[in-house]
Amino acid sequence: MPTLLESQRALAAFVLAAPAAGDDAYRAIYRNNTLATLGNALGLNFPAVRRVVGGDFFDAAARRFVRAAPPRAAYLDEYGAEFPAYLRDFAPAARLPYLPELAQLEWAVSRALHAPDVPGLDGARLAALAQAAADPERAAQLCFVAHPSVSTLALRHPVDAIWQAVLAQDAAAMARIDLDSGAVRLLIERDGAGHVQVHRLPGRAWRLTERLCAGATLQSALEALEAEAGAEDRDEPGSLDSVLGEHLAAGRFIDFNGSSP
Amino acid sequence: MRSRPALAFLEVHAENYFGGGAARAYLDALRGDYPLSIHGVGLSLGSAEGLDARHLERLAALVAATEPALVSEHLSWSVVGGRYLADLLPLPMTEEALDVVCRHVEQVQERLARRILIENPSTYLQFEHSSIPEYEFIAAVAARTGCGLLCDVNNIVVSASNHGWDARAYLAALPGERIGEFHLAGHARRALPDGRELRIDDHGSRVSREVWALYREALARFGARPTLIEWDTHIPPLAVLLEEAHTADAAIAAAGGGVRGAHAHAA
Repeated sequence: MPTLLESQRALAAFVLAAPAAGDDAYRAIYRNNTLATLGNALGLNFPAVRRVVGGDFFDAAARRFVRAAPPRAAYLDEYGAEFPAYLRDFAPAARLPYLPELAQLEWAVSRALHAPDVPGLDGARLAALAQAAADPERAAQLCFVAHPSVSTLALRHPVDAIWQAVLAQDAAAMARIDLDSGAVRLLIERDGAGHVQVHRLPGRAWRLTERLCAGATLQSALEALEAEAGAEDRDEPGSLDSVLGEHLAAGRFIDFNGSSP
Repeated sequence: MRSRPALAFLEVHAENYFGGGAARAYLDALRGDYPLSIHGVGLSLGSAEGLDARHLERLAALVAATEPALVSEHLSWSVVGGRYLADLLPLPMTEEALDVVCRHVEQVQERLARRILIENPSTYLQFEHSSIPEYEFIAAVAARTGCGLLCDVNNIVVSASNHGWDARAYLAALPGERIGEFHLAGHARRALPDGRELRIDDHGSRVSREVWALYREALARFGARPTLIEWDTHIPPLAVLLEEAHTADAAIAAAGGGVRGAHAHAA
């Protein structure tokens, strides 16, 4: 008599296998349900990718992806982290070079949409931060904790514009997009009203933001920025102080760490 | 839902509310107006390898925050080898599986500090080494763990038809005092080339006459309980859903039940 684990491994192997002639119609219900539910979950997390390639193409790609990388947890809003990389190597999608990057943006949007609700810096913490920031030595050692909805992406194609045009079904806007217009640096977040926002940032502001979101101290982030300063940064308006101020005002950092006085 | 129709309770899938943001804010707004039923589909109570601790923690956080009237899960499994198969997969009805399910129900009830309801599944295959009838298995889980039952009348009809069971005998064997909720739904029928008929629990049509008949029998036998009509695919106009709800109300009234039938769409 097979053990419970053996029975479960055997049924899982059947569910994740490609259909074959002679499969039992009853058992196949489980395979169909699993693939339909997971394909549907991917479609919800990557709606613009689905619209660009069409439902049939997307469903076929999703089925192959599900078999190659089934979810590791039953929380399907978190399913699809590996889908952008899968699309990069997916030969039938090669004629759309921006597609993997569009999927990367949609993954960040989905993460922002479903990120947990967490309290931001309250009055006391903001006062402590102001005190620390006023002392240059302590300010240099400050590092921040980003809100879980916040992420940064640097992409080679203008996929923020593509994403908006595709979801709005705005063919005129889509036609105006120049795929070779260069890289974009994005900040993705969920705002206070629960809407996901995708902002384009200038190069230096984005690089500072990316490092701070990754937990770097202010000093190390600024030093790295100096070391890599390039010609494109010279015309960038606004100070780095104002970048940090904007992030704090928008609630993008929920906590900070620094040496005590 | 904007018009706040007169529903006795709202049932939602737990896993749709594990995150924050707009979905969770919507649920928090609605729970002020309706008692809530949290219906899980991903806990995988029958997994041989144990429960996913993160999943249980997320469910516990949701339950603690929303204080639902009912919490339910399924007599099934969906996780093996760390992979989630997104369906309610069938268990072999064995002593080993019974021990596993009971251990996990106890673990969940301990973590949530409350009783949960276990739902009988629709199944499409039986294991040759199954030795316990499903109604006996589910009654044993309730007796050993103190959990309640979510009696899905449609699932009884679907499974009974697929396996040649007697649906009325299944119903009659359930410990009625443990039943805390009924589910009703439509199912599909598909003729197979070999002449057999496969029934599929797709929640995509009206409740069938057979299911209504068995539901009336359940009401007569056990009394009224909160009742949910599930409709998840090919969703009809609201008028059709309300008609189905009125049929359930009429059945409850005819059975002399004092508890009003309750209905909501599990989104």
